[in-house]
Amino acid sequence: MQAELIDHIRFTAVSPDMVKRMSVAKIIVPDTYNDDGYPIDGGLIDQRLGVIDPGLKCKTCGGRAKVCPGHFGHIELVRPVIHPEFAKTIYLLLQSTCKDCHRILLNEKQIGDLRPTIEGFVRADDNDKELGLQTSVESEDKNLSIIKKLKTVKKCPYCGAVQGKLKLDRPTFFYMNGNRLKSDEIHDWLAKISNEDLALLGIDGTVTRPEWFVISYLLVPPVNVRPSITLESGERSEDDLTHKLVDIIRTNQRLEQDIDAGAPQIIIDDLWELLQYQVTTYFNNETPGVPVARHRSTRPLKTLAQRLKGKEGRLRYNLSGKRVNFSARTVITPDNYISMDELGVPQKMAEVLTVPFYVTKWNIEYAKKLLSNTSYPTVLNHISKDGTRKRVADMNREELLAALQPGDILDRQLIDGDVVLFNRQPTLHRISINAHIVRVLPGNTFRVHLASVTPYNADFDGDEMNMHVPQTLEAQAEARLLMNISTSIVSPRNGLPVVVALEDMLIGAYELTKDGAYYQKDEAARLLASVGVYELPKPSKDGMYSGKDIFSAILRDDLNFEYTDKKNPNNMAVIKNGRLVKGYISSKLIGKRGMLLLHIYDKYGPEEAKRFLNDVSKLAGRAVYTFGMSISMRDYYISSLEGERQKIISNTLSEASELLRKYKDGTLEPLPGYTKKQTYELEVFATLNIARSIAMKVILDSLTIDNKAMLMISADARGNILNFVQIGMFLGQQSVRGGRPSRGYNGRILPYFTRKDSNPMNKGFVKSNYIEGLGFIDYYMHAMGARDSAMGKPLVTAVSGYLMRRLVNAMQDFYVGNDLSVRDAGGALIETLYGGDGIDPMMEKMQ
Amino acid sequence: MASNYDLVPEHELLSESDAKKISKKFNTPLEKFPKILESDPQAVKLKATAGQLIAIHRDDDGKKYVAYRYVVKG
Repeated sequence: MQAELIDHIRFTAVSPDMVKRMSVAKIIVPDTYNDDGYPIDGGLIDQRLGVIDPGLKCKTCGGRAKVCPGHFGHIELVRPVIHPEFAKTIYLLLQSTCKDCHRILLNEKQIGDLRPTIEGFVRADDNDKELGLQTSVESEDKNLSIIKKLKTVKKCPYCGAVQGKLKLDRPTFFYMNGNRLKSDEIHDWLAKISNEDLALLGIDGTVTRPEWFVISYLLVPPVNVRPSITLESGERSEDDLTHKLVDIIRTNQRLEQDIDAGAPQIIIDDLWELLQYQVTTYFNNETPGVPVARHRSTRPLKTLAQRLKGKEGRLRYNLSGKRVNFSARTVITPDNYISMDELGVPQKMAEVLTVPFYVTKWNIEYAKKLLSNTSYPTVLNHISKDGTRKRVADMNREELLAALQPGDILDRQLIDGDVVLFNRQPTLHRISINAHIVRVLPGNTFRVHLASVTPYNADFDGDEMNMHVPQTLEAQAEARLLMNISTSIVSPRNGLPVVVALEDMLIGAYELTKDGAYYQKDEAARLLASVGVYELPKPSKDGMYSGKDIFSAILRDDLNFEYTDKKNPNNMAVIKNGRLVKGYISSKLIGKRGMLLLHIYDKYGPEEAKRFLNDVSKLAGRAVYTFGMSISMRDYYISSLEGERQKIISNTLSEASELLRKYKDGTLEPLPGYTKKQTYELEVFATLNIARSIAMKVILDSLTIDNKAMLMISADARGNILNFVQIGMFLGQQSVRGGRPSRGYNGRILPYFTRKDSNPMNKGFVKSNYIEGLGFIDYYMHAMGARDSAMGKPLVTAVSGYLMRRLVNAMQDFYVGNDLSVRDAGGALIETLYGGDGIDPMMEKMQ
Repeated sequence: MASNYDLVPEHELLSESDAKKISKKFNTPLEKFPKILESDPQAVKLKATAGQLIAIHRDDDGKKYVAYRYVVKG
């Protein structure tokens, strides 16, 4: 079907006449159902407005629920009210026209000057060219500046009437010289402005008359828009809009009665104002300056504007975002025995999710086998060549099987080897969505290889992830070829590996390949068997097998690689013809920034890099399993360093008191731009902070990797030296807002200190550590620092989330064309050369 | 004036025939190029009028490339 071309769209205000033409029912009763539970005629659920209950027929179109689209009704207001969303326009119009003759407050000459820009305006309306559009924006600006000046005109150039001072009391009240202008007066005023004058103000009077901004016929939306819900108790609960409409009709009725009874003007005006309030909140219950209309339960009513607005509004929630078919979500758990690019899918999911299977003469035998299966890998739906869709059941299986022919499509259950997309929110990256190959497994969780966790920024403390099953062959091919996670091994951000060996894999690789690691034949055989190698390498000395040789089994024979640590040239690894001849496998090779991994990816491609990572994780995993890797409190309890600890602390404290002495003597040189006091504070803070760095150094120098905590740290598997210092030595200086904690009581932080005491301990220098435990003052200081750093996090995520939203919306359909230019969906040039240099950082070679 | 500033890259007003060549090179009508206002200090300096094309010669750390701006009213 060819879509009709839209020539133009015009938005106008709805006229009272239009309301009457649209309306199928005048609503007069402020109620919904009568005592029998039957809709009241002339009530808000009048059956002429459409039906939502099954079984009933619409009195307008005769359709039943779901067939009848619903029809509008209307309420006749006895006194007109201002449409709150147009109040600003009304204000502008009142300011620009004479209070007596209602002509525009411009003389003939000024109008003549305006004409050309108005004509530009009209030209744009004719949908001319792009140039016309620009003129219209321009002329609109120009017009606005002229109109803004009109409120300063004191005397009408036509009738000479002196203009009063107009005031808009938001949202809907107008005053002239302090006297309230009533809505009907405003209506009459607006009605008398001529179309010619309106044109000068940018309004086409033949399309939208300003008096329509004052409502006397209120449109009532069909019941389909505001369905009532029946609770289990049989009680009916009405939609917020219905509630609001009831309020409007009730107020309208009271107003009518009082007018008929000849009530005093004040009472009528009060009710009129109440009616205005009801209508204002009906449109927008968050109108500034108006009290919020509430439900009986004090919950604010969700009226028209609230339905559309914001994240949970119609636009962002229902139109920009929709629920997705062929998708699944559950908790993720680790599994290093599947391939890095596989995804363990729970059996239950695989049984529900389907992939279309196109029957051809070449695969019809397999199709028949699938279709004849009564359990798991079977077919859920059958779509025959002519498009009729049937659910496959035991009842009709034989029949469908007999009729199966090329051209049919089967909805087949998900099986091993299918391709799926896998995603974790927040999707900040293109590598937050990757393709994986299905591996159906028992259990209820998605099984994820540890190495493929980094691009998603996932962990296993309860994270859930989403899976999508591409349905078309094109989508499947794209997923397989372009989106496989092995293509994300190298980050598109900087060309460095992100999908890498981590944690246990790193420790295992180190233990396996370190100098002096030799294994008995049986151990070596088991290690090699874990990666499917069933031939032993040559034994080295006395029948033992070197760990380096075992690791070499997973290296390609033609691999040559050399790595030298820039900081420590003694630390190097050499691979010659697929054999690790020198050094050990560290995170520098296979972890973050792992150069060996990058080399393999560059030289042999993603497939081989994937295979390598899989083998590393299996082999190293097996290695850790063999040696065992445990840590205990004892690893952190370093009594041998107690002397060092005391020395560091006392040195630091004496340095601090030396600074204090200098400060008091006045010999402390102030830093440029700082007072002496600030300089002192900065330097003390720096000095106290350095204590931790010194402690780190001491630990690094005095502990070896015999200490398992140190092993983890040096293998880049888990933890850092700062953690070690804080657990085993001392916490060090706590910081609040980038300095020492300083607020609290007068001249001190806690009441336990004397005023103006310079003791660093009283300002957040903590001597104790996590092992020996914190005293209550230390604990308090630590809590202050912890709170300070915790406060920043949610703020940063909220800000970056919003930034992400803005960027995605701004750039969502930009693409890089074949000529490397960046364009938007309309083909307009954004950049002549991507990034100014046409370079894809992912493809850039690191030096 | 800003146009004399060090970091402002060189702007060049292209002739109509050159502009046509560029348009053809990118296979894109001139209106679909990024835009520059007539009132932009650089456009004023070059006395550019709406409909013309300005080339900006950028030099990013020795890497040279040219960006284009289509002059519009304003």
